[in-house]
Amino acid sequence: MKNTVFASLPSVILGALIAIVPQTFAHACMGHATFGACHYSQQAATGIGVVILVLGIVSFFVARPMRVGINIAIAADALLLIAVPNLLIGVCKGQMMHCRMVMLPTLTVLGTLTIICAAAAAWVESRPKTVRQ
Amino acid sequence: MGRIASEDGAPVNSHITLRSLPAENLRRKPLRTVALIIVVMLLSVALFGGSLLSINLGNGMRSMEERLGADLMVVPQNSAQQAEALLANGSPGTFYFTEEAASAVAKADGVAQFTEQVYISSLAAACCASKLQIIGYDPSTDFVIQPWLSSQFDGEVKDGQIVAGAGVNVSSDGTIELYGRTWPVVAQLASTGTSLDNSVFINRATIPSMVEASAQVSHRVMPEQYEKKAVSAVLIKVADGYDPHTVAESITKLDPSYKSLGFVYPGGITSSAKASLGSLVGYTAIFVAVLWVMGVIVLLVVFFSSVNERKREFASLRIMGATRGMLRGVIAREALIVSLAGGVTGVALASLFVFPFSSLIGRQLQLPYLQAGPLAVIGMIAVSVLCTVVVCMGASMLAMCKLARPEAYVTLREGQ
Repeated sequence: MKNTVFASLPSVILGALIAIVPQTFAHACMGHATFGACHYSQQAATGIGVVILVLGIVSFFVARPMRVGINIAIAADALLLIAVPNLLIGVCKGQMMHCRMVMLPTLTVLGTLTIICAAAAAWVESRPKTVRQ
Repeated sequence: MGRIASEDGAPVNSHITLRSLPAENLRRKPLRTVALIIVVMLLSVALFGGSLLSINLGNGMRSMEERLGADLMVVPQNSAQQAEALLANGSPGTFYFTEEAASAVAKADGVAQFTEQVYISSLAAACCASKLQIIGYDPSTDFVIQPWLSSQFDGEVKDGQIVAGAGVNVSSDGTIELYGRTWPVVAQLASTGTSLDNSVFINRATIPSMVEASAQVSHRVMPEQYEKKAVSAVLIKVADGYDPHTVAESITKLDPSYKSLGFVYPGGITSSAKASLGSLVGYTAIFVAVLWVMGVIVLLVVFFSSVNERKREFASLRIMGATRGMLRGVIAREALIVSLAGGVTGVALASLFVFPFSSLIGRQLQLPYLQAGPLAVIGMIAVSVLCTVVVCMGASMLAMCKLARPEAYVTLREGQ
């Protein structure tokens, strides 16, 4: 049970944060006449956050080998989360724009933390469990 | 007698040597180990984060002092606040003299050197760029911008060309769009951590073209009759032995109408920023020091209680032939593992916030903030990890002294 919580709870918390944060304080720039890159990054990040949250919840109710797989998937999702504002879609180029100053680093930090937690969980769950006979 | 096996029934090697003993001890007491690592991690976060913040603020302040090369700035009536804001936190602004003042101001007693600058605020772009400060300077008299530009840009800024600050968004073809017109960028300067990062520099002869461009896309930033002779500020370097305030007073005596002029003292801005910086760095240092004192006390308590509860374990090891030196080695290696794990995690955690959020930190503090170079950062990482290792090892060694005193047999029989 302890390992299940360790392998699942961080993903639930981080997934919820990734879904909520881009829609609240780490939002895209306001005042665009048309939607800019940061808006699409924001929406994609929210979607990825929801997926991580769902995977985190599912991993509470499945067997250990499956939790390993789920955590690998969460790590891959988090990698995608980092790539969205940094490489795939991007944010505004202005250094002092809100999306570059707040949204980009927030998503990068949350993505990094998710990768670390998911990798640690996958490692812990993949180790052979020792029992005293 | 039970044996250790994996879930599938295969036996697991449970042989423990003196070398693997410290890691095994830590593994068998996960709660204590995690608690110790968290304490060390907090110390490391505080030391690394606090020090890096102070270094970056110091860098920003030095950079600001280097860039504000004038002793006195004479600006039009009611523009002093705008000029101060422009120097201190980079709020872009447009202001100019409506009558010839520069040449008259230069005649005042104590003026060693003077130059004129023009400030125009760009439009707030609809998308993806913030307002910029356009600074027009006179290369023939300039002593403020040119020395700094020449350290990074080897050439002359010709009419119509632009030198962009580090924070300015320059397109991939080396141009920038201002007032609906594309301008060639001949150089982009390195980051200074000051408001100048969000400025573009142009030759004063380019000002009329810029004003014309503004007239075509929005409202004209200044009337046509001023565009060729516009002056926003006269920057003065005072002669040796003169105080900028005395020079300002002598300027007001030149003409009764000059009493209404605005006087900005860049040195005063620097000293007020320095005062804010000093108090911020002071509070940070106090916070880090208090945290370290508390952390060291916690580490001492944990190590003492740990050694106390492990008296019998150590006595057994002594009876099995381990020397006092071996036991010290076991404790020292345990402390080393904990301190390295906590120290490195702390540095990584602090880095995760200090580096990506550096622009936001600078803006929120409203102080010049310039990220330290890689060498300084590597140095700080080494110092932070080393400090945590030294403190942790020191605490464990102090606790070990207590254990070294009684004889093993007496310890083993204690309480019987």
